Amino acid sequence: MMTKQVRYEALVKALHGDLYRYAYWLCHEKQVAEDLVQETFLRAWRALDSLKDEKAAKSWLITILRRENARRFERKRFDMSEYEEANITDTKSVTTEQELENHWLREKIAQLPPEYSEPLILQVLGGFSGEDIATMLDLNKNTVMTRLFRARNQLKEALEAEPVKRGIYNG
Amino acid sequence: MDDLQFRRAIYADPNNQDADTIAAQQNDASKRQFAQDICQLDEKIMRALQVPVPEGLSEKLILRQTLASHQVQKRKTRVHLALAASVAIVGGLMLNFMQFSSAYTNLGDYALAHVYHEQGSFANNATNQVSLTSLNQKMATFDGNFSRTLGKLIFADYCRFDGMKSLHLVYQGKTSPVTVFIVPKNEQLSFSADFNDKKLFGSSLEFNHSNIIVVADKNESLGQWQQNISETVSWSI
Repeated sequence: MMTKQVRYEALVKALHGDLYRYAYWLCHEKQVAEDLVQETFLRAWRALDSLKDEKAAKSWLITILRRENARRFERKRFDMSEYEEANITDTKSVTTEQELENHWLREKIAQLPPEYSEPLILQVLGGFSGEDIATMLDLNKNTVMTRLFRARNQLKEALEAEPVKRGIYNG
Repeated sequence: MDDLQFRRAIYADPNNQDADTIAAQQNDASKRQFAQDICQLDEKIMRALQVPVPEGLSEKLILRQTLASHQVQKRKTRVHLALAASVAIVGGLMLNFMQFSSAYTNLGDYALAHVYHEQGSFANNATNQVSLTSLNQKMATFDGNFSRTLGKLIFADYCRFDGMKSLHLVYQGKTSPVTVFIVPKNEQLSFSADFNDKKLFGSSLEFNHSNIIVVADKNESLGQWQQNISETVSWSI
């Protein structure tokens, strides 16, 4: 019992940040992301004995979270393609040039189709390899690599068109 | 590795460590430049993805788990209690069922089974004898009385005859003991006047409130026994 508790707390401390960020990029809403993380860890606690390999903990948790997110859509079938800019980040805190750029890029990432943004987030944020991502998303590796290529390509193109767009925010 | 392939590889994974892509970068400055650009892009993406995590989220997660597992434990004890209660009820019902339901549908079958069950307990040449007085004391329960003894009575006591309190008499017979049951009338078991199997045969006499069943082996004359019983037994009202 004690060891399970210790394991759980270690898991929470080590991975809650990554998991929250991943959830945030899945659903684009802070509150929903937090709820998803809560549900995920609660399920993880119940199934903790089935986690044999601690190295696989992150992908295990992400798999639970993705399932949890899918369930959210089963429960209430609202239109998921609708993305509301207001939810992405609060514009009030945008002060420095760096943050401005972050904010701008966040919107671009949020606007990517989910099938492109998800592998990108797993790769950059999660540090997973192409093979890992392919297993987690149940795709073949070539598809994952193509999607990663397209995701970056789109962001790069958007970035190159930046000055025009940027002006809107600066001016 | 041509340019398109290279670009695709770098776009898909800027930290690509394939021998091919590394070699391509070393031979071509523009490719090197491109790879650096994309690495910078990745850093930007990385920074952009680092959305702030709500404060105290990890504490919340641990708290929620602690509460949840506490509730689960409470629920578990309740479930255990309910389970134990269910088992007790089922056990009680089973016992009831086994004790009070009959596996036999008529008097004859049950009588034969009863006799076989206690076959080993009585020897035909047993020395003990039960007096007519003590027999009649027991018969009083059934409002009956024997005017004289039917033979050498080896054993007389109450027993359960398919759940009913009845009197079990064992007389010395010609080759093996003769068993006589005095059983209150009951609707569960249908009356069977004559019955037999390979070794034993029996017959029942019907009176107002009771049946008297005689079971003996084939050397005995059941008719004689029946007649003797009918002549000696009398019933008070």
